[in-house]
Amino acid sequence: MRAERGAVPTAWRRHRDRILPQLVIWPPLVVACAYVLWFSAWTVWVSFTRSTLLPDYRWAGLRNYTAMLANQNFQLAYVNLFIYGVLFVLLTLTVGLLLAVLIDQRVRGENVFRALFLYPIAVSFVVTGTVWGWLLNPSIGIQKLVHDLGWTGFRFDWLVDRNRAIYCIVIAGVWQASGFAMALFLAGLRSVDADLLKAAEIDGASAWRTYRRVVFPTIGPIFAIVLVMLLQFAIKTYDLVVALTAGGPGLSTTVPTIVIYDFMFQRGELARGSAAAVMLLLSLAVVLLPYGLYRRWRTRQDAIHAG
Amino acid sequence: MGRNAADGTESGNIPALSRRTLLAAGTAALAVPKLARADEVKPKVTVISQWSSGSDGAAITALGKEFENEGGSWEHDPVPGFTTAMMNKLRAQIIAGDPPAASQLKGPEIAAWSKIAPVVDLDALVKQAGYEAVVPAELARLSKPEGHWIALPIQAYRINTLFVSKKAADRVGLTKLPATWAEFNAVAEKMKAAGVTPVANGGITWDDGMKWEIALCGISPAAYRKAVMELDDGALKGPEVLAAFRQTRKLADWSDPGFAGQHYSVFIPRYMKGDIGMLLMGGWAQGVFKHAGFQFSDYLIGPAPQDDGKIAFDLNSDEFIFWKKKQPEFQAGQKLLADIVMRKDFGPMYCTITGSIPVRTDTDLSAPGFSDGQREAAHAMATAMGDNRVVLSLAHNMAQPNQVAAAMLDVLTEFVHDKQISPEQGQKKLVEAVDNVR
Amino acid sequence: MPASLRRLAIYVVLLLFAGFYLVPLVVVMLNSVRGTQDILRTSVIGWPRPFDWGNFAHTWSSYCISEHCNGIQPYFWNSVEMTIPATILSTLLGALNGYSLALWRFRGDNWVFGIITLGVFLPEQMKLVPWVIVLRDLGLFNTVAGLILIHTVQGLSFTTLFCRNYYVSIPPDLLRAARIDGAGFFRIFWRIVLPLSPPILIVTVIWQFTGIWNEYLYGVTFSAGDHQPITAALIALSAHISEAPDYGAQNAAVLLAALPTLLVYLFGGRYFVRGLTAGAVK
Repeated sequence: MRAERGAVPTAWRRHRDRILPQLVIWPPLVVACAYVLWFSAWTVWVSFTRSTLLPDYRWAGLRNYTAMLANQNFQLAYVNLFIYGVLFVLLTLTVGLLLAVLIDQRVRGENVFRALFLYPIAVSFVVTGTVWGWLLNPSIGIQKLVHDLGWTGFRFDWLVDRNRAIYCIVIAGVWQASGFAMALFLAGLRSVDADLLKAAEIDGASAWRTYRRVVFPTIGPIFAIVLVMLLQFAIKTYDLVVALTAGGPGLSTTVPTIVIYDFMFQRGELARGSAAAVMLLLSLAVVLLPYGLYRRWRTRQDAIHAG
Repeated sequence: MGRNAADGTESGNIPALSRRTLLAAGTAALAVPKLARADEVKPKVTVISQWSSGSDGAAITALGKEFENEGGSWEHDPVPGFTTAMMNKLRAQIIAGDPPAASQLKGPEIAAWSKIAPVVDLDALVKQAGYEAVVPAELARLSKPEGHWIALPIQAYRINTLFVSKKAADRVGLTKLPATWAEFNAVAEKMKAAGVTPVANGGITWDDGMKWEIALCGISPAAYRKAVMELDDGALKGPEVLAAFRQTRKLADWSDPGFAGQHYSVFIPRYMKGDIGMLLMGGWAQGVFKHAGFQFSDYLIGPAPQDDGKIAFDLNSDEFIFWKKKQPEFQAGQKLLADIVMRKDFGPMYCTITGSIPVRTDTDLSAPGFSDGQREAAHAMATAMGDNRVVLSLAHNMAQPNQVAAAMLDVLTEFVHDKQISPEQGQKKLVEAVDNVR
Repeated sequence: MPASLRRLAIYVVLLLFAGFYLVPLVVVMLNSVRGTQDILRTSVIGWPRPFDWGNFAHTWSSYCISEHCNGIQPYFWNSVEMTIPATILSTLLGALNGYSLALWRFRGDNWVFGIITLGVFLPEQMKLVPWVIVLRDLGLFNTVAGLILIHTVQGLSFTTLFCRNYYVSIPPDLLRAARIDGAGFFRIFWRIVLPLSPPILIVTVIWQFTGIWNEYLYGVTFSAGDHQPITAALIALSAHISEAPDYGAQNAAVLLAALPTLLVYLFGGRYFVRGLTAGAVK
């Protein structure tokens, strides 16, 4: 059957142009979604079962949840996550922003500084925890060094103080992540519209004013990404704590991931561990939901003001 | 050949292709070797353990070499890290349907894990080797949770061992080890007065648990057995446990102020210099000292204080559990491995490397590879066995399954690191914790 | 505040922070040239006395991890074999996802993006057993391909997040003009989006490479023997259950293992700050 010249190829090409993108777009999206959904669903399911050493899909009701909520390790872990999370995120954001602003002042040796601040993120958490464990140890680390230098009244034994050990973890965490925050903020600062900056300068705005009105709004999207990165670091903190304090003097620096690992794998209580994991993720919703609503409100505000 | 055509056609009109197939199949059938008999198969084992380095790694490597010398094929998969990582790998292999031929496991976990995957019945082999008679009853009991041998102990350690730094001992004029807790406490006070930190232990969870259990074992092995191994409520609420908490509080107070979260090896330099005096640790510390370049003459070694003067032995051991495998080469390998482990000369081969005690009480320890410390500990084990004064370690997951042990250790480690918890409160918390997981 | 004093203050603060960041590295570097006996006799923080240069060679090629006395070298290459494919795959697929979600809107795309982003928060411990089940069913248990799959799929959450947030700031006019010209999905990706992507792709590659290279839990559970990644070797050198680690070798190993990621950040660091928003487009 002879077709009109060019008619078949065009139709075929149009068909292809419609199907092919679908074949390419959907698989990775579907896989990425399915992974999150299935793994979460499986964990939720197991948390309602009687699983111990291996998954055992018999129903166990809310038993695991009540057991974990009543468990001292779990309660301590949550308090610690809150303290550590808030301090870690706030300090890292502050230090990162501070360093970015300082470097942005056209300092000499910027490359060297930037490399120095950034390298810690390349190191694994286990190493960070181990080395900071040595440094913060009063008998062999900083306190001892200062004593040897003559100032014997100096005290820096937070690591072995059950009420202060958590701050040592904050220090190590900030050390590791603030360079990354700095790098992202620096990128944001560098991409601020030069024209806007010039306009502000012409208007005679002070440096602080300029930052507040022009710079910070521009780096808003970067801020969101940095926040997400830091939150997920905080929630998933495990290796750092294990290497630094092994859960702290006694149980005082235990965190939810340690409780999850401990119950799931050390004690052979998969269901209890899963319940702890589900509750960890739910607590995340407590943080993310308000943020999501806030973003929604902002977008609506911007739309109103723009229109 | 009397078979159907390879392509299954039954009509008389056999196509040329299938005739060729017939011929090929026939030739192939002739080429297949006759089914190998079990004892013609090369024995093979896959082993999972956490022993990737140090003396443990060296010992299991030596075992592997011996296995290969006897004609076997040895495949060891060390999982670096703590025991939990090894158990993770084991769990993953079991879920994946491919358990190793043998894996490290210990204590009540042997019973727990044997329920989730099929294990090999070793009764015949054990009977043949006459093994049960020469192994401590506690270990035999752990190895046969349902009455059949499914695991074999490899090595034993004494937990309640006391090491005193020679230099520290000299500073307070100490010439022999304190025999009771009262004597120990007196020595500690003397050391403190002389500016020596009395206790060299670290402050991680198992170390904290060990301090308490050594105290309790020294106060009363009978109370230990009832409270820790049988979880008897009366014993847990009893005076011996309270006394153990009191002694543990003393031990914590006498430790280095920075000991929280530290591994005891961190204190070895100062211990050898005589700035810290006494270490309550398992027999493996000997190997650690040796590794650090210290001599036997740098420390005094012996049993930890026993208030009633008779020997008691706080036992820790490692075992191999054998998982059921269908393939004949693995079955042969398991038989070979079991044979090697049960032999009389296994102890001298393995334990001289790790510094542990051979499991067989009839082992000849006069070989030069053994140290006096090992000989003394082995003798203690044999004696204690006779008097039924062998107890199982709590801190090293021998006395109770992991859930129970972990709950108890949580209480103990919190007690050690929180001075605000009084011994009475500590005991109450322990009782509560046990009730929660009973 | 006079300008010169302000400059001085800036440098002082920067130098103080520089010190804070440097100290751990210096400790490790010093330890890597000390003998273990020296460290055990004195302290883990100290000056080499005497210098022991043998740690690196010994750790790299002759340290014994159980039966294998080839040092950490084989584990290093195992990590390379696993990390590079997983990094490349997760970056490319993440870019594709980000592109689809940012520039080709469809019903529910915000939900899809939200679900994918949620993946960055899932703790590793909880995903271990499900991954065992998945790998078993796919027949990939104990293989490098299995590990690559795990890291690729898990990485998709991060890479999609990065790329999508970057692509939304591409000026819509560019795309409108291209579409008017008749360009389709692939042409726009090829001609417009990809050339704008280097900054975010480099960020993504660096992030993924580091995350996968330094990962321990899955690396150890889903591989066997001497096919394990470098993190397993590092733990083998560090974990002390009954013994003290070989400190000299441990610190040398830490440096050797961290070298790739350090180099990646050293050379890639400048691209981070080249401009993460499409402001660079102008």
